Amino acid sequence: MTGQPAGHFTFDGKSVPLRPGQSLAAALTEAGLRSFRQTAKGATRGIFCGMGVCQDCLVTVNGAPNRRACMTPAVAGQDIRTQVPFPDLATAPNPQPAAPARVIAPDLLIVGGGAGGLSAAIAARRAGASVTILDERKVGGGQYFKQSAVSGPLDAQQSAGADLLAQALAAGAELIGEVEIWGAFDGLLFLAEHKGAALIARPRAAIIATGAYERPEIRPGWTLPGVMTTGAAQTLWRSYRTLPGKRVALVGSGPLNLQVGLELAQGGAEVVMIAERGPAPWLRPIAAAALALSGPALAWTGLRSLADLRKRGVPVRHGAALDRIDAAEGALRVTLMGDLSPVIADAVLMNAGFDPQNEILRLLGAEAIYDPAFGHLRITRDDTCATTVPGLYAVGDCAGLGGAPAAMAEGRIAGRAAAAALGFGDGYDTFADQRQLGRARRFQRHLWALHDVAPRLPDVPDDTLICRCEEIDAGQIRAGLGEKPGHAGTLKRATRVGMGRCQGRYCGPVAARLVAAATGTPVQDRSYFAPRVPIKPVAISAILAAEEALKDAP
Amino acid sequence: MHPDVLVIGAGITGMMAALHLSDGGARVTMVDAGENAGTWANAGSLHVQMQSRFMRLYPDQVPAVEASLPLYKAAAEEWVRLDTLYGPFELVRKGGLMLAEGAEQLRFLEAKAQRETARGLSVELLDRPALDRIAPWLGPQIVGAELCHDEGKLNPLIANARLLAVLGQRGIATLRDRILAISQDKGGITVQGQSASYRADQVIVASAWGAGHMVQGLGVTIPTRAEPLHMNITEAAAVSISHLIQHAERSITLKQLGQGQIVIGGGWPALDRGRSMPPGVLAASFLGNVALAARLVPQIGGLRVIRTWAGMNTTADGGSTIGRLPQAQGVVMALPGDAGYTLGPLVGRMAAQVALGAQPDADMARFAPARFAA
Repeated sequence: MTGQPAGHFTFDGKSVPLRPGQSLAAALTEAGLRSFRQTAKGATRGIFCGMGVCQDCLVTVNGAPNRRACMTPAVAGQDIRTQVPFPDLATAPNPQPAAPARVIAPDLLIVGGGAGGLSAAIAARRAGASVTILDERKVGGGQYFKQSAVSGPLDAQQSAGADLLAQALAAGAELIGEVEIWGAFDGLLFLAEHKGAALIARPRAAIIATGAYERPEIRPGWTLPGVMTTGAAQTLWRSYRTLPGKRVALVGSGPLNLQVGLELAQGGAEVVMIAERGPAPWLRPIAAAALALSGPALAWTGLRSLADLRKRGVPVRHGAALDRIDAAEGALRVTLMGDLSPVIADAVLMNAGFDPQNEILRLLGAEAIYDPAFGHLRITRDDTCATTVPGLYAVGDCAGLGGAPAAMAEGRIAGRAAAAALGFGDGYDTFADQRQLGRARRFQRHLWALHDVAPRLPDVPDDTLICRCEEIDAGQIRAGLGEKPGHAGTLKRATRVGMGRCQGRYCGPVAARLVAAATGTPVQDRSYFAPRVPIKPVAISAILAAEEALKDAP
Repeated sequence: MHPDVLVIGAGITGMMAALHLSDGGARVTMVDAGENAGTWANAGSLHVQMQSRFMRLYPDQVPAVEASLPLYKAAAEEWVRLDTLYGPFELVRKGGLMLAEGAEQLRFLEAKAQRETARGLSVELLDRPALDRIAPWLGPQIVGAELCHDEGKLNPLIANARLLAVLGQRGIATLRDRILAISQDKGGITVQGQSASYRADQVIVASAWGAGHMVQGLGVTIPTRAEPLHMNITEAAAVSISHLIQHAERSITLKQLGQGQIVIGGGWPALDRGRSMPPGVLAASFLGNVALAARLVPQIGGLRVIRTWAGMNTTADGGSTIGRLPQAQGVVMALPGDAGYTLGPLVGRMAAQVALGAQPDADMARFAPARFAA
């Protein structure tokens, strides 16, 4: 959209232009290419989560199979190919580590360079602790601040994020980007891959600030190329100045859909519809007033978005839920429940709430309690954000949804507390931060009261996929439930639900809720699939590199 | 409820015992604690040749294992029969390769192969050029291997689901309970569970590591021991590895499932966290096991491991335990003793035949529980 091509790569032999900083997924999307891989059952898939979680945007890069297009920078001259389901090992290059392994032992390791992690880093570093932040992205800032990876002006949210990032670096924190953490073990040992080389961290304490990922609308057609999470579209636009499509529809519930709908409309997309499950704020005046009182500035931003959308003629339909998405007319036909007039869009964006990225926390044994209102686990923490595991803290959405302002307050509190526990600073009075945190949490409560993100049991036809990776549909899951599994793990072994590359991040919570409903037991921590390494799929060559590094420097 | 036979443990051994009992006309019920860590966490290797891991860890048990070799071979054939009757389970029986990385390991395999041939196994030694014809993807340090033609692999998720469905069609029910004790009186057997007590004319004990404790009051001390083992699985690739891969000295099994995933295991320990928690993953096992696989088969380096898990193997004295308890004739033991998934169907069938009244022949004497009499 902006800037000149910096070169070309090929996709299945066809030349695709790229701009500096773009991900492969962004460059392919900009070229109108939506199908990146073939599944074992012959379907095609493309970008979905846009943040390295869903493993659906896999492509073959210069012969190396199963690379996530959303996390791989586009480079001129690359040979990119559609990912086949069964790559030939004999022709795949055996990856060699690009650099020797690195072992770090900071006082405090922070996992995640978003709003919470950066705030924690600043606080701990100012108290005197040595701090290293690990982040998955090339550019830090996290999902809320979504930093730009291409040149161009920043918006207000990006500027605030850039400020926070600069403060963390000025305070002396080290930020290592493009790090994929795949192992976490007792005694606080973290194993990660950094640009193909092994990274081993043995910190004295750790703050986990891994945020959340989006909960999709599991409806017929939700796996079609062109259907993606709202956050994926926001990353395409904010980080890479790439529109997800010309005509865009948004479905689900929550403030992110309204915000991204507006950003895309301002960016030149034709937003054909925003369907919000929750009722219109003017139908819920008391809840709306409570929201306005608890956070006037943020509430005002929200209302102004709605007004702006209306001024641009974007139809915002409250109390409307997605029924199904079908491939039609070379695009996607979006049908709402009880609606006779579907719309046609090139991209369908979905966000129906969030699920915490709590894998590292659960793996290390942190206790958690199910929050039925949000349908996810909340990590048990004291008022310094310390978990039940010694030396392990959790801040922000990974501990249970709370929003960016709360994550920043929690980060400051945990950063100071963790530093003080290690002998740096006195963990001084946190009254101001606690008060801000209280305010942010009140605002969140009132905000979500106006939306509808209550977890649902999938009321879909038998042939609707529940497990994207293993292509397990609702009918197979229903048959599996007929065998009366006492646990989601038993359903998994019986049906293969959750056995694929995303490790059950989308179908796992559904399986846990279905089994709980079938057995008449409340959902709890143990209802989910047991947490296990690897936290994300990890190349065998990376494990080999880590093993050699640990053998040399035990 | 008063079945003819109550089968304790609904893993592969108990399920197949129940199936044969039912086919033999007995009314059968199964009872299971639902721990799901043995059969339901198995990785699907069909072991026949002596495992170097076992020989190294339990040298005192080697004679018993060696004596059991014909049983292993028959057990693999039992699986082939089940696959024909109730499959397909993606069963492939192209044999198992035990790799040698030097002259000394090759000599060890030579000696082992002679002992196995004497017990009726079909084995041969391959040098590197011969290996290159069937497994050209092995690392350059591999100098040769022992190929055991009797070995193979299958997909246990498919096999378990199919066999469970067969039991369902026979109307064989599984009760959910943890069995604490067994006692015998004139009228039959009383089985005390955590939530109820059960009566039956006979009982088959197929409860793996839980068995020793269960029969303690019946005049035998069977040292069943749970061994939590670590396993890994990769994303799928085109199928090119048809053999079960093992090593002459190091702990590893590596195989490719019919759906393309590569399963890496072979006896690296997992962390036992008690009954209420699934076994945990030890960093040294995860790294060591996968790194070894990468050295033996370098071309899997670009594939990603997507999951790990742990399952329980059960050991006792190296041999199987099949037959009636001397002091409680209504209690029939069905314990494979090692490689429980490979041996389970055959051991279950043998125990069922005992319960149905077959007279044990001379061969069966080796498996008799009497050897554990106090």
